[in-house]
Amino acid sequence: MTRIDSWKSAPVLLGMLSFAVILLVWESVVRLGWANPFFISQPSAIAASLSQAARSGELWHNLEVSLREFAIGYGASVVVGILAGALAGRFRTVEYALDPFLWFLYSAPLIAFYPVFVLWFGLGVPTVIAITFLLSVTQITANTLSGIQNVDPGLLRAARSFGANERDVLWKVVLPASVPMVIAGLRLGIGRALMGVVVGELFGATAGLGFSISYYGALLKTTDMIASLVVIVVLGVLCTQALSAVEARFDSWRTGPGS
Amino acid sequence: MSNYRLFVSTVAVLAFLAIWEIAPRIGLADPMYTSQPSRVIAASLEIVSGDGFLYDVSVSLSEFAIGFALAIGIGVPLGLLLGRFPVLRYFLDPPIMAIYATPHLALLPILVVWLGIGMQSKIAVAFVGGVIPILVNSMAGVRGVARSWVTAARSFCAGEWDVFVKVILPASLPGVIMGIRLGLSRAVLGVVVAEMYQSQAGVGNQIMRYGSEFRTDHLLFDVLLVSVFGFSATWAVRALEERLWTAGK
Repeated sequence: MTRIDSWKSAPVLLGMLSFAVILLVWESVVRLGWANPFFISQPSAIAASLSQAARSGELWHNLEVSLREFAIGYGASVVVGILAGALAGRFRTVEYALDPFLWFLYSAPLIAFYPVFVLWFGLGVPTVIAITFLLSVTQITANTLSGIQNVDPGLLRAARSFGANERDVLWKVVLPASVPMVIAGLRLGIGRALMGVVVGELFGATAGLGFSISYYGALLKTTDMIASLVVIVVLGVLCTQALSAVEARFDSWRTGPGS
Repeated sequence: MSNYRLFVSTVAVLAFLAIWEIAPRIGLADPMYTSQPSRVIAASLEIVSGDGFLYDVSVSLSEFAIGFALAIGIGVPLGLLLGRFPVLRYFLDPPIMAIYATPHLALLPILVVWLGIGMQSKIAVAFVGGVIPILVNSMAGVRGVARSWVTAARSFCAGEWDVFVKVILPASLPGVIMGIRLGLSRAVLGVVVAEMYQSQAGVGNQIMRYGSEFRTDHLLFDVLLVSVFGFSATWAVRALEERLWTAGK
């Protein structure tokens, strides 16, 4: 065990092997007739369905709709979340006033507001965007707030004693020091925003990845359903990986503990 | 200091409630869309005293309880195991992370195809939602155990089993509890959304029904009910977590 532990590429190789084994077992279980393809489909059929959807343009259309909803909802929550978090982090009164609402939004099953949003915005894209926004904005606000609050007071004192004014402190100390926390919030927010898009589309939409899962589910077309699910999994992994990379980059300059 | 905090928070909430109550009264908003605190209170009395409410609540609660218990029962041992054996972890880590990065509610339609529209599919959603954070954090809890403690135990002739039960298990408990806390809200959400998606009973089913009947006040009460449940359950686990942290120091 220690030998594999010290062998650096082991995690990557074993990880790839793991996916290969899953696909192989899945495919052969169906081919050998041990499992009903109606329920679990099979990798080869899913690949065929994906390439079919790619050729007909259905895949790109769904992807485009979902990504646009995601971009608008998540983009708005980034702007609002960072702004609200920064205000709350700088002004105690704002923080105390926002606190109960943040707590509520954080613990409420926000998707349950879906019918209310349908009442307000109608069925379709605007409702999906609203859900996406609401799900991710709390996370980003909370992280920005705690990032700003946890700035090392020693750094603030040092900057002030060298004659920095409020604005210098904000731009040169507080914001750079809180970046890692904010980025972590953005990463967590992505997951929640993706959830918002998919679930919003499950319930009522006319296009999008979540819609196609729900649509093919109603037709009991398992293969096409899993194909859309695969696209969502890939999208989720890509988004999370991208933000983790950004996070690692922003975190690399800090050397000491704390701050 | 904390008095000021309490004061500002209370004023903010009261102001929100006041605006919410007054705006529809003076014609600034349509109460059919926004409802009002007074209407929500009236609706709450109606719902709680109506028949079927206790049944719906008990259906949702048992779905949650079974699904989440399964998530703990499978997630914790598996997470501890994966944390202990790196080869196993390297092998299973990528699929687990892929599922973690995926919105678990996207599995809803396929779970309905597999398990039907009854309670089983809701239990499965609660399980899937809860198990992944529990597994991942239990795993991280084990990996966070200081190697020197294991070495110390070994040098006092502790066997593999002793090391596991007496060192690793207690030391990884904070990670496990944190996983349970994170999994909890995902499981609650899973049950409610699954019931909203397709079901025959439960609080989520009620929410969808009230929504299609444009009864915003009834709907808001149900949403509030689920929020309070999720909030208090999370709070209870967090309290337990803090006690463990202080006990460990």
